[in-house]
Amino acid sequence: MLMVTSMRNTLYVKYDCCVNVNAASQAAAEARGRAGRQSAAASSFTGMTLQEAQQILNISTLTPEEIQKNYEHLFKVNDKTAGGSFYIQSKVVRAKERLDEELSIQQQHQTKPPDQQQET
Amino acid sequence: MASSSRVVIEGDFMRNAEYTPKSTGQSETDIDKRLGGCLMAVGLGVAAAGFAGRYAFHLWRPLSQVITEAAKKLPSTSFSAYYKGGFEQKMTRREASLILGISTTSSKAKVREAHRSIMVLNHPDKGGSPYLAAKINEAKDLLDSGPRR
Repeated sequence: MLMVTSMRNTLYVKYDCCVNVNAASQAAAEARGRAGRQSAAASSFTGMTLQEAQQILNISTLTPEEIQKNYEHLFKVNDKTAGGSFYIQSKVVRAKERLDEELSIQQQHQTKPPDQQQET
Repeated sequence: MASSSRVVIEGDFMRNAEYTPKSTGQSETDIDKRLGGCLMAVGLGVAAAGFAGRYAFHLWRPLSQVITEAAKKLPSTSFSAYYKGGFEQKMTRREASLILGISTTSSKAKVREAHRSIMVLNHPDKGGSPYLAAKINEAKDLLDSGPRR
């Protein structure tokens, strides 16, 4: 039997009686693809890419602790009332928002079990 | 009820023929009743306001704490007067002046001064981010190369 499942931008055909080997890896790849698409959407929506956000906050690993620590330092240092630049502070805030968004996207795809089983 | 301010005398009836004492009496007592009612309502209102004010005064301190906490939470999410988006692809004079916190038509000395102070705050050796430091330097270079004053 021929089954056509259309993903958002890929269209592929599965023969359910035959190849059933890489179901798990396919599901994982789909999940990664979805996460990637969500990340790209967040980048275009916020107007800031993940890479730029990481550069602004000087983040190497996406851990909440590092993000929070760098954010607090940079936010405080660029406080307008202390002679800092409000523009830079704004970018720091937006970078933190973007990174928080990225973390939540990642968490979403970690806690969700690969439930994209092939229909048979 | 409140007593009439005017006492209707038989004689008056004869003199002021256009008025009928009965009707004026009625309207007078009506007016008085209404007036009294209004006064009572006003009095009650004032009393209620007084009690409410006293109550609110006792409640104010914890309320004000709640309000300030809520106000602090708001900027982190919805309310943002912060500039949106990331840095521009190619830095403009406007962005450069915003980065340094000066006007686009500042003198070179001012640019230098602003650059120094912002750089001190964001120095990479003191926990600042190298990317931001690079942006600050770029801003200074752009403004320096612009229309000289």
